[in-house]
Amino acid sequence: MIELMNVRKVFNAGKPSEFSAVNGVSLHIPENKVTVLKGPSGSGKTTLLSIVGCMSRPSAGRVKLKEREITSLPERFLTDIRRSTFGFIFQQPNLIKGITVLENVMLPAYPLGEKRSHLKARAHRGLSELSLTGKAASKVEWLSGGEAQRVSIVRALINNPSIIIADEPTAHLDTKLSYRFMEIVEKFKAEGKTVIITSHDPLVYESKMIDKVVNLRDGKIEENPT
Amino acid sequence: MNVWIEKQRYIIDFTISSLMRRKVKNIGLLVLYTLIVFILASTMFFTYAIKREAAFILEGSPEIVVQNLVAGRHDLLPVSYLEEIKSIRGVANVESRLWGYFYDSLVGANYTLMTPPQNQDSHKNQGKTTVVENDNGDPHANHEAHALFEYEGALLESGTLIIGNGVARMRGIGKDDYMPFMAADGQIMNMKIVGKLSSVSELVSSDLILMSEADLRKLFGISPDKVTDAIVTVRNPSEIQTVAGKIKKRIHSARPIIRDEILRTYSSIFNWRGGMMIVIFSAAVLAFVIFAWDKASGLSAGERQEIGILKAVGWETGDVIQMKFWEGAIVSLSAFLGGVILAYIHVFFTGSAIFEPALEGWSNLYPNFTLTPFINAEQLTTLFFLTVIPYTVATIVPTWRAATIDPDSAMRHTGG
Amino acid sequence: MTLLSGIVLLGLLMLHAFTSSQGQEANLLHKAALVKQLRLTDLCLFTEARYTRHLSQADLNTAFQDHPLSMEHFPSGSFTQPNLPGITR
Ligand SMILES: Nc1ncnc2c1ncn2[C@@H]1O[C@H](COP(=O)(O)OP(=O)(O)OP(=O)(O)O)[C@@H](O)[C@H]1O
Ligand SMILES: [Mg+2]
Repeated sequence: MIELMNVRKVFNAGKPSEFSAVNGVSLHIPENKVTVLKGPSGSGKTTLLSIVGCMSRPSAGRVKLKEREITSLPERFLTDIRRSTFGFIFQQPNLIKGITVLENVMLPAYPLGEKRSHLKARAHRGLSELSLTGKAASKVEWLSGGEAQRVSIVRALINNPSIIIADEPTAHLDTKLSYRFMEIVEKFKAEGKTVIITSHDPLVYESKMIDKVVNLRDGKIEENPT
Repeated sequence: MNVWIEKQRYIIDFTISSLMRRKVKNIGLLVLYTLIVFILASTMFFTYAIKREAAFILEGSPEIVVQNLVAGRHDLLPVSYLEEIKSIRGVANVESRLWGYFYDSLVGANYTLMTPPQNQDSHKNQGKTTVVENDNGDPHANHEAHALFEYEGALLESGTLIIGNGVARMRGIGKDDYMPFMAADGQIMNMKIVGKLSSVSELVSSDLILMSEADLRKLFGISPDKVTDAIVTVRNPSEIQTVAGKIKKRIHSARPIIRDEILRTYSSIFNWRGGMMIVIFSAAVLAFVIFAWDKASGLSAGERQEIGILKAVGWETGDVIQMKFWEGAIVSLSAFLGGVILAYIHVFFTGSAIFEPALEGWSNLYPNFTLTPFINAEQLTTLFFLTVIPYTVATIVPTWRAATIDPDSAMRHTGG
Repeated sequence: MTLLSGIVLLGLLMLHAFTSSQGQEANLLHKAALVKQLRLTDLCLFTEARYTRHLSQADLNTAFQDHPLSMEHFPSGSFTQPNLPGITR
């Protein structure tokens, strides 16, 4: 599904603060499987994830999505791919404050210009699946941490993506909610979606539904973690 | 196409709710902006309406007014000049005017006292000219002979007044009341008010007091061989300029003022270049520039983060720019519409209440007039382009920089 | 929506401008007639001094006509310009 070839990411290239966050990572992410990127803080998990998700370009190396080279595509196409293929669940819920839960959920679909009634119905269905029906009209500031996270999951799913990317999804959740999240991941898998998660939470990477665990350290893949 | 419209609707909706989010800031902005448009539009409406109105109603003002200048000042004109002017070729008619100012110390207002010309039909016997009717030195005998002036049923005779609406308002008097004056010789003249000029005409008549010639002469102590000025009717309107030149040549102390000059005086009144106008105008422009600059100088941290999130969830840079376009367009259009509508109400319904103190100046008597709403479409369009376009552009410009915000910044920021 | 109603309101006001400037024609004619009848030369806008009351009749030596930008004694002086033959806009 996704193929990374010798990918590097250098921040602030040429400046004294130059920092190489990802150093030559080659990786295959299989379709319809759950892959976990694991590693200590600062090891480059988020950076790698944003490259996979077409949010930033690698400094070197190539990325292939469904056999298609995407590293050199212009930004328009990247946005298009991002919108239609990926659903993002960020480390923080990253909801836009001041507007309602429903509007937040519908946000990724706005540029598609879909018929309003259809979109609304879809958003409501998504919200009800994560038992958020009653919150549709509330402002996001009023949500609890777990609710906010669930809203961001609904938002990630609104365009029906085939790949779901979750960055430390359980970082702000208690054990019970974390288990709840893993159930949701299981459901994605059952629906035939590909899931990529970064985490250093054993509850996540030791879960039985995980198909592949990739260990990162200092921007490199560790073949034999200790 | 449908998709495009639907997309714009979504973006507009989102823009409106994001404007509502920063309520205080955006409403403050809108209020300030509306105020600027309001001031500019009010000035524009007022100025244009008064100019149009002046041009229309002063069209009937005298073709030539001849003043007598003495030592650089407007002085009384000897009656003998009238005949002299009349003998100039091209002059159809010469009339005299008798008028002056009166300071009412009771209310601190200046009035314009004048003698109305006699009604045409009441002295056909004198032929075309109504000029030299008092050179027999005994005005009273003459006045009793025929009614002098009639205004809406009120007959102006010796000892009576017809007053302008402003005078009536200032003094709180009306028909059948008495108004005392102290004449030049110290005598008290108690004059009866027999009529009031219409309130509709206040713009030209507010401070007028009409009285008979004999009364005015007595009040000001003007001898019968003097008048205030002369008005000249010309046989061929295209010769006004020439005749004025001839008058000046014949009577060296004369200063002819032609109708064009009168009209020009009022077409240049309240010009952008005028002192107060330029102050208002430049203040408004300055405020606008400061504020557009503030807008253009960049995005706040919150806005950057928001744009990051939008890009991360699949908005293109183009969508973000469209959003900002709508933001600018909505704010500036609202300000434009709000400002123009308020200005219209201000100028044409409340009689420019806000400008009044400035217009009144130090005068105690200020006419109460409603302007005819003449609107200049061209001015309105100019105002539209001057307000809506620069502001919208100023809003879009910093978002070019949004293109440089990487969507992955949404994955990095902490908190929230 | 508010924008839309604003546009509608503006349209209505323009309509008002149109109809009432038609409707006020009688008033305008009335004023014009009075000007003609009384041989008036000026609008009664500023009554504080003779040269502001009768702008077009003011003599050329009056203080406020020195320069159109000079803020002279009376505020109204700054709204007006001298009536000099050479000055046209
Ligand atoms: N824009 C940037 N400029 C400079 N350095 C950066 C930038 N983004 C990330 N880094 C650095 O790259 C390294 C990897 O960051 P990354 O966020 O990928 O780590 P992570 O594995 O996700 O850590 P955590 O588990 O704490 O989230 C960090 O040391 C970080 O400081
Ligand atoms: Mg991270």
